[in-house]
Amino acid sequence: MTAAHQEILSLDVSALSRLIRERKLSPIEVTDAYLARIELTEPKLNAYLTVTADLARQMAREAEAEIVADRWRGPFHGIPVALKDLCCTRAVRTTAGSRILADYIPDHDATVWTRLREAGAILLGKLNLHEFAAGASSNNPHWGPVRNPYDLERIPGGSSGGSAAAIATRSAAATIGTDTGGSIRIPAALAGCVGLKPTYGRVSRYGVIPLAFSVDHVGPMTRTVRDAALMLKVIAGHDRNDSTSNAAPVPDFTRGLNEGLRGLRIGVIYELSRDLEPAVEASFKAALDLMGEGLGATVEEVSIPYLAMSAAMTARTMVVRAEALEYHERWLREHPGDYGDDVRRLLEQGMAVTASNYVRAQRTRVLMLTQSESALEDFNVLACPTCSITAPKIGEERIQLPNGQLINVLAALSSFTAPFNATGQPAIAVPTGLSPRGLPISIQIVGRAFDEATVLRVAHAYEEARGPLPPPSI
Amino acid sequence: MAELTPETVMRVAREFYDYPMNAETAAAVAKIADAMLTDARRLSALGLDGVEPPFSYATMVAEAERLRRTLSGS
Repeated sequence: MTAAHQEILSLDVSALSRLIRERKLSPIEVTDAYLARIELTEPKLNAYLTVTADLARQMAREAEAEIVADRWRGPFHGIPVALKDLCCTRAVRTTAGSRILADYIPDHDATVWTRLREAGAILLGKLNLHEFAAGASSNNPHWGPVRNPYDLERIPGGSSGGSAAAIATRSAAATIGTDTGGSIRIPAALAGCVGLKPTYGRVSRYGVIPLAFSVDHVGPMTRTVRDAALMLKVIAGHDRNDSTSNAAPVPDFTRGLNEGLRGLRIGVIYELSRDLEPAVEASFKAALDLMGEGLGATVEEVSIPYLAMSAAMTARTMVVRAEALEYHERWLREHPGDYGDDVRRLLEQGMAVTASNYVRAQRTRVLMLTQSESALEDFNVLACPTCSITAPKIGEERIQLPNGQLINVLAALSSFTAPFNATGQPAIAVPTGLSPRGLPISIQIVGRAFDEATVLRVAHAYEEARGPLPPPSI
Repeated sequence: MAELTPETVMRVAREFYDYPMNAETAAAVAKIADAMLTDARRLSALGLDGVEPPFSYATMVAEAERLRRTLSGS
C-alpha cells in the first residue's frame, strides 16, 4: 500500500470522479489502490466472497481509454464498486451466501449491475452476506462471518454485512445492498457508513435473488450521503424486466442537497425511539439537537402506533416467511441440510402462514403506510435511531435492554427498520458518532414515498454539520 | 382458541409440503404459528374493512408482457 494509494482511498466517489474526469487520476491507479486494500483487509474482514481482480483491471483499462478519448460517461465512470453476492452477474459466480448456489454462474446481469456497468463502474467483486439475505448478522455458516471493522469480534450487521464492511474499510468506493427488514440500514448503522433503502419500486429488483418479493428493496451503501445520491441516480428508474418498478421520472438527487434544514419539520417517531442503549440514546439526542438548534429545523415528537404494534410487525414477518418459503420450497425439501439453522427455521415457519393470514398481512401494510404518510402531512421527514443497540458480538443471540428485558438480537436490530419495508417508504441510515466502546451509532431518516430527495437533503445537511466518522483502525 | 399441536404442524409439513419435520422443530413452529394466529386475529380489529390488498393488476399485466417477451425472445 503506497502513499499514493492511501491518498486515493481517502477520497469519496464525488472527489474521485472529479479527478478522473479531469484526467488527474487514472481509473487504473484507482482500481489498483482498491485491489491492494482488499488484499490487506480481507484476511481480517471476510467481506468479499469473490474478488474479480482481472476483470476489474480490464474494465479500468477500458474506462481510461474512453475518458482519454473524451467519452466520459458520468460520475461512476472509472469508479470501483462491489455488489452484494445476491445480485446476479453474468459469468461471475453468484452464491447468495449459500451452499445451495455455491457454484451458480448466472447467464444474466441484475439490472442494478447493468446500469452501473453502463455508467462505467468497475467491478471489484461480490460481497459476503447473511445466507440468502435472511438474517441480520452476516454470520455466514458456509463462508465464514463478516467481521465488524470497528471491532473484529463483533458482527457488522446484515444481511448486507460485506457491503457495509467494505465501505467502512475503504475496500470499495461504493457498494450495493438489499433490504427486506433493514438489511441495508442495519449494517450501515453497525459498521459506520451510509445506507439508503429507496422507495419500493424505485430501483429494479430484476436479477437480485429474492427473499420476499413484496418487501425486497435494492439500494446504495456509500461513504457519504452525496455518494448515495449519485449512485441512486444511476441505478433508479423503470425497468421493463421488473414489473413492480415504478415509471416515475428519476430526479437529480444531488440538486437539492445543499438547501439546508431551515424551514423543514422533522417528526421524531415516539414509538421507535424507546428502550435504547444509553450510548445510542445520547447520540440520537445530540443528532436531533444539531438538526434543530444547530441547523434550524423544527424537531417535534410524533406518534405512529402502527409502526411499532406487535401485530403489525407480525404482518411483515408473515409476508416474509410465506414468500421466502414459496421461493425456497423445492430446495428446502431436497437439500434441508444445506441451509444454516436460522435460515432453515425461517423457512419452516413459513409453513404455518395460512393463505388468509397472508392476505390479511398484506392489507395491514396499507394501513401502516396510511398512518405513516398521514404523519408526513405535518412533517417533511421522520426520524428515529436506526438500531436501538450497537454491534453485538459474533454469535450473541440475546442481549439485555437497559430496562432489564432480555431480547433477541434480530428483533433488537430490526424493530426500527422493518416497519419501512412494510410501508415501502424511503429511509436512510447515517452515522451519528461512536459509542464509548468505539462502535458506530446511526440515525434513520424516513420520507414520503418517492421523496428520496428530501431524505437525502436532510441526511446531507446533518452529515456536513457533524463531520466524518473516525475510520476504523483496521 | 385451541393451540396448534406439534403433531398438526408435522402433518401439515408432510402432507402440504412433502417435508419431514422433526418433533423438536414442529414444537417450535407450533409456538410461532400460535403467535401468528393470535396477531392475525388482532389485525382484523385494526379496521381492514374496505382495504384492498396491494396486489395490482397493472403489475400482473406488466409481468405477463415481460414473460411473453422473454418467451418470444424479443
